[in-house]
Amino acid sequence: MYELDQRIAEQLTEVSLSSSVQVRCGNSNAFMVTASTLIPLMQMFEMGGVYICATRGAVEIIEAFNSIGVDVSNIQFIDLVSSGILGGTDVPYDNITFVDSPIMLESVLLRTLYTLRIISSERNFVLIDSVNALAIYNEERMLAEYLHTFINTFRQREVLSIILNIPDQVPPAVLSNLDLYCTDLIDRGQVVIH
Amino acid sequence: MDEILRGGIPYGSTVLAAGTCGSGKTTMGMEFLVRGALAGEACAHFTATEPSVKLLENIRQYAFFDMNMIDSGLINVFDMDVLYSWLGLDKASFDLDDVHALIKAIVDIVNTIGVTRLVIDSVTTLCYKIKSEQLIRDFLFTLGKKLATLGCTTILISEITSATENAHWSSFGVEEAIADGIIVMGDVERMGHLLRFLQVVKMRGTAHSRAKHAIELTPLGVMLTPMLKWGAVSDKTSKWGQ
Repeated sequence: MYELDQRIAEQLTEVSLSSSVQVRCGNSNAFMVTASTLIPLMQMFEMGGVYICATRGAVEIIEAFNSIGVDVSNIQFIDLVSSGILGGTDVPYDNITFVDSPIMLESVLLRTLYTLRIISSERNFVLIDSVNALAIYNEERMLAEYLHTFINTFRQREVLSIILNIPDQVPPAVLSNLDLYCTDLIDRGQVVIH
Repeated sequence: MDEILRGGIPYGSTVLAAGTCGSGKTTMGMEFLVRGALAGEACAHFTATEPSVKLLENIRQYAFFDMNMIDSGLINVFDMDVLYSWLGLDKASFDLDDVHALIKAIVDIVNTIGVTRLVIDSVTTLCYKIKSEQLIRDFLFTLGKKLATLGCTTILISEITSATENAHWSSFGVEEAIADGIIVMGDVERMGHLLRFLQVVKMRGTAHSRAKHAIELTPLGVMLTPMLKWGAVSDKTSKWGQ
């Protein structure tokens, strides 16, 4: 059985639908932290939602969850990675939609809003995995502006936003802005000794 | 769109929707009619760029569109080629009499059916047959005035090759002068990817937003969000970050 970080579930009991949660993880515990965040949302709080995949393709993420016995078919995935790979959009899951590139930030926002309109769950989350991957393609000021827009858009609509990042690899301006915009912090980032 | 326009397009306005190819003009025009039809308004679409069969085939993929709206007569689609043939206007260019005959035919259709929402797609294709700039101006001005008198809100779709600040928002340079509103649609290029945008340049009678908005054509219709300020550049001829 895969071991989850139960303290994350405890912390999530304190957030509301209009919260925005910054989830910090490290290189080695990224999936464990993501799973420890997502599974309570789905199973304890019976939430639906949108998982924005910028770090890896949606198929890989779905199969990673399947491998630990977690069914994520109720979650909609927006895949920003696979469209750039030849044949990457020919996938066996119908809960994945594709955006051409992580540079199309406004399209990601609109696609997320559209997905939230068509799903049946009443309480929803949006999860960005991850700020680091978005930072590869997007200029610092633009990414900071985008996260500001993104968080406020969903806060206004009472959709819980979860922003995943590995802090020591996020541009400092983006990270300090996240600290400002987000209402809650789940910190499982690794300590880095420079 | 209603939010951007602070309430919508004023009744009886003639609005020029000018855009580059693939920018979503036809979809927006059709959605404008569908929203009207859902409110019980009689609507008409004059198609000059593609046959109505092809238009309807393309628009069927959108969940907001329902073929029953065509079958029940709430949305009426007219092929301009059929109209030309019906009026005996199968010719390469139109003179003053032809233009007046065309205006009369369109106005008669609007009047007979009681159309309150009309789309002409595209006014560029339609005006190609009118050789004089003065005649084009007269045609559009007279048509707009007559339709407004009938209480018909009209979207004239115009095809342009660029949507930069310096570009004309019409092919003939006269359409924009007679329009009550101008909506520009185009593409922003970001690192090789095209992002659709829409901007309301003018809309008489409204305190509309003039910001550039990114658009996405979804099955539910056109969705918009303000373009990122650090990501909004003129159009595909401009480069990201400059």
